[in-house]
Amino acid sequence: MGDEPTDAALVARCRAGDDAAWAALVDRFARYVYAICTQGFRLPQHDAEDVFQDVFAKAYEQLSKLRDDAAVRPWLAQLTRRQCIDRFRETRRETPAEELEPDGVDDVLDQLDEALAVRQGLARIGEPCGEMLDRFFARDQSYRTIGEELDLPAGTIASRISRCLEKLRAAMEDSGALVGPEVG
Amino acid sequence: MATSDIEELGRLIAALPPAPEGWVRAAQELPRLRRGLDDLIGRAQSDAELRARLVADLESTLSEAGIEPTRQILADARARLRSSS
Repeated sequence: MGDEPTDAALVARCRAGDDAAWAALVDRFARYVYAICTQGFRLPQHDAEDVFQDVFAKAYEQLSKLRDDAAVRPWLAQLTRRQCIDRFRETRRETPAEELEPDGVDDVLDQLDEALAVRQGLARIGEPCGEMLDRFFARDQSYRTIGEELDLPAGTIASRISRCLEKLRAAMEDSGALVGPEVG
Repeated sequence: MATSDIEELGRLIAALPPAPEGWVRAAQELPRLRRGLDDLIGRAQSDAELRARLVADLESTLSEAGIEPTRQILADARARLRSSS
């Protein structure tokens, strides 16, 4: 395991008024909240921005009400979901409440939970692998850009990415986060 | 090693692109902004001139106090001014 604090430890520090812990908590879950807004609920960017800020404002205000500090991820997911539905409600007043959620939102949220577990794996494998994989897959950067940014020969990036993926897979298996289909 | 596992990992990394930097920074600044707002609204309760400035031009007065007047902060400030009047 890396040196990353657990979710529960971060929440406890936030509650104690530690601004750096709050910044780290936002950093840890920003992509997740953003993805729920834009992929799960397909909000346009300006609505997604409002929901994103509202979610973290509510989280900041209501952190003391969180009963289980380790459950901050599902709590944030639920907060985001509610805020997205409220946003729909403002613009689609005539639509019945049960029809406000887009089709397949539960499946998308399941996928995002998996994706978040993979991000924790990225943190565990350290640098430069974590950053390289993030730049290539999540930031959609070219081999050339990655090479320039990380000061590595562009011709070696593809093979490095492949090795880093293997490392990530091993780290995920070690942590029990990646379970092969034959195990189920 | 199954290629499909590797492909799936790539797909899952891609599923969480970064949120816009400005959004993240604004959310990270929340504690500082809230404390600034607490202080300003607290002072406005005993400072009629400050209160009048806040009521007349909330955005500018917040900016002058170093508080970025985001939509959230403005809404919060208005609610607190109402409740303290």
